Amino acid sequence: MSSSMLTPTHKYAAGALFGLALHQAQIHQTCPLGFPDPSPAEERSSSCSSNDSVSDDPQLWAHQSSDLLRPIFKCLEIDDKAWSGLEETAASTPPKHHVGAFLRLLSEESNDDSSEAAEMELALANGVDAMASSMERTSDYESKKEKSREYKNECQEKLSIADVKSKADVEGTNVENQEKSEKPSSIAGAHLKSVSGSDEKPVEEVSMLGYTRKVTILHELLSACLAQAPETGKKPTRRRKGYDARHRVALRLLATWLNVRWIKVEAIETMVACSAMALLKEEESKEESQSPDTSWAKWKRGGIIGAAALTGGTLMAITGGLAAPAIAAGFGALAPTLGTLIPVIGASGFAAVATAAGSVAGSVAVAASFGAAGAGLTGTKMARRTGDVDEFEFKAIGENHNQGRLAVQILISGLVFEEEDFVRPWEVQHDNSERYILQWESKNLIAVSTAIQDWLTSRIAMELMKQGAMMTVLHGLLTALAWPAALLTITDFIDSTWSIAVDRSDKAGVLLAEVLKKGLQGHRPVTLVGFSLGARVIFKCLQVLAESENNSGLVERVVLLGAPIAIKDMNWEAARKVVAGRFVNAYSTNDWMLGVAFRASLLTQGLAGIQPVEIPGVENVDVTEFIEGHSTYLWATQDILELLELDTYYPVFGYRAAKT
Amino acid sequence: MEASSSTPEFDYLFKLLLIGDSGVGKSSLLLSFTSDAFEDLSPTIGVDFKVKHVTLGGKKLKLAIWDTAGQERFRTLTSSYYRGAQGIIMVYDVTRRDTFTNLSDIWAKEIDLYSTNQDCIKMLVGNKVDKESDRVVSKKEGIDFAREYGCLFIECSAKTRVNVEQCFEELVLKILDTPSLLAEGSAGVRKNIFKQKPPETDASTSGCC
Repeated sequence: MSSSMLTPTHKYAAGALFGLALHQAQIHQTCPLGFPDPSPAEERSSSCSSNDSVSDDPQLWAHQSSDLLRPIFKCLEIDDKAWSGLEETAASTPPKHHVGAFLRLLSEESNDDSSEAAEMELALANGVDAMASSMERTSDYESKKEKSREYKNECQEKLSIADVKSKADVEGTNVENQEKSEKPSSIAGAHLKSVSGSDEKPVEEVSMLGYTRKVTILHELLSACLAQAPETGKKPTRRRKGYDARHRVALRLLATWLNVRWIKVEAIETMVACSAMALLKEEESKEESQSPDTSWAKWKRGGIIGAAALTGGTLMAITGGLAAPAIAAGFGALAPTLGTLIPVIGASGFAAVATAAGSVAGSVAVAASFGAAGAGLTGTKMARRTGDVDEFEFKAIGENHNQGRLAVQILISGLVFEEEDFVRPWEVQHDNSERYILQWESKNLIAVSTAIQDWLTSRIAMELMKQGAMMTVLHGLLTALAWPAALLTITDFIDSTWSIAVDRSDKAGVLLAEVLKKGLQGHRPVTLVGFSLGARVIFKCLQVLAESENNSGLVERVVLLGAPIAIKDMNWEAARKVVAGRFVNAYSTNDWMLGVAFRASLLTQGLAGIQPVEIPGVENVDVTEFIEGHSTYLWATQDILELLELDTYYPVFGYRAAKT
Repeated sequence: MEASSSTPEFDYLFKLLLIGDSGVGKSSLLLSFTSDAFEDLSPTIGVDFKVKHVTLGGKKLKLAIWDTAGQERFRTLTSSYYRGAQGIIMVYDVTRRDTFTNLSDIWAKEIDLYSTNQDCIKMLVGNKVDKESDRVVSKKEGIDFAREYGCLFIECSAKTRVNVEQCFEELVLKILDTPSLLAEGSAGVRKNIFKQKPPETDASTSGCC
């Protein structure tokens, strides 16, 4: 076994901090950080601390039955006698005091062989820094920006008649650009406020802790999250293989506490994954020389293929034959990544990382995490024979594939005029996860989008717009007033295509849930982003996931933009629960197009795309200023996502949204 | 589960804390109290936690007992466990004088520093009275200390279980006699944030649009 850089006491404290972060993350699901607490914070937290014990509540992430904490403790080699104390501590609030105490414990130097450990820590930190800087925005960011501007212009040209302010567009864009350049400052202000306003920012102890130590702690914890708990031999645990979304959220909070930038954690993720893969590969080749045929069997046994390869014949027809070459390719593609990694961080640094990762490589969970992914998602083409959905296909976009990234993003367009509209809205966004777009039901989507467009350009609609009647209409929709008769007859035009598309989006949502449940994303945390009907796909998917109990570790974050989803009777709470981290609903109050298309009988029930969803834990963001018409989402999504800063743990818009 | 039911399975919940030097028998005392057992225990790591249900004075009580590590290296840690405790048990070993003197030098100060409960009940416990021949701290000294610091006092043995029950009972009865502590531990205050929606959400929905 490799010697660890942390002493048992340090590991104990690290485990405790992780537990605290995990529990807080669960609290933030329904009560996001930075939001004013419904009840006075002090009262609430004190009543929690003295009254609830973790062992009473299996719903808690910290509870043993969630199987989230104990494997970590085990991996950190914390004495099992200390576990229940740690679990209870995790749930005692407010966490501030404990966090401070554990940080102090971590900052204490170990007296024995500390110089060697310190050297290793330093090497690791340097490695992480190098990796992180290589992952930062590259220079081609500007060119990508340019591309998005092009796309925006193209779209606007194409749809120009549609937009209410079409005439003013030319000036409008300029104004908007200016606006945009001002925006970051106001949001930065919101940041500061939300951090200082919460009592979350823990204590001065953080400064006592050296940067290298922090990196080491995060590294150790991440490794523990990825490692598969040694088989206990008892009944199958609830926990899935791979990287649990809840773990990632907890790490994100912990990084926030430690004041370590998230990109460093992403760098750690990549390094751990790569080095574990490298070690595994080495072992593989060793074994291969003895018996060349068993490697495939070993992969299967080790769960590398996981669910992906073994579900043939069921809904996702993926055969071992299809998956195997893709996985082999995955291994091959990693080699260059490692090749570039070593020069950047230096051989000694890499050695340190490799030693550290060695403890993880004993398990294959890391490999399982992304070995199957390439084949899993992009290999998922819906066969026509299922009948319900004609098209359902993941396509890889961005440059992060086969780079050992441990997070996945799935991006779903829902308003589509051409096939490229599935891809182009998402192209520019910078993100360090592996990204896929979902192309689904293009025929139906194009049909409905075009129908909407045609209707918009029709004479009556133009007339209504000219009279500024649309906002009145939207108002009428919400207050369930009678509609102008003209509007009613006209919308029949849209209704038929729309209701088909809605139906398909629900079915696509079910499929998406199947895909995630099967782990085709490689058992990695998923972030789902979608606009218009794409948002509906996501919501449906969450609803399906919420139906069974152990799906809460799949989805890390969700962003719904202009979502055609009713607010009442849709069980948003349940959907919120299966998302471990942030859940954003971006709405535009003047998106009357969405209102018109969605109207049906449902408008008295509210509509997520045009108003906030008042469910605890849902982060409502008013994007009205970006959205001129529903189709604006095609090109504005980019900017909105950037402003949301998904990599920040707490809701960036928290204060603003809460105040309005 | 039971948490949300209308009749909780206990009337009051009290948080108790065990402190004192390493090796005085805090964990043994707790084990003796919660599971009638005595065995050789390795030093506690960080903190341990045990729950015991008792019925005292006609009330059903749930005792959440935190057992802290006495070792120096965990000293920073234990400080955060004082807050919210209704009862604190200071344990020393009657056969080791330093564990007794450390109570006034260290532990009593810690309590003053970290305890958030003004009325919190303190109790002094001299453990290991089964080793009467090795005793170096007399009962009189213990009583004097207790008087000086205004706390309860008892001598017991985790090994022979002498006075173990009484120790916890006395402490709890005293808590039951203190209205401010009683209010804190009342089951009615119980709230589960994961099951209870913030009450104002409905109002705000209708209010904002």
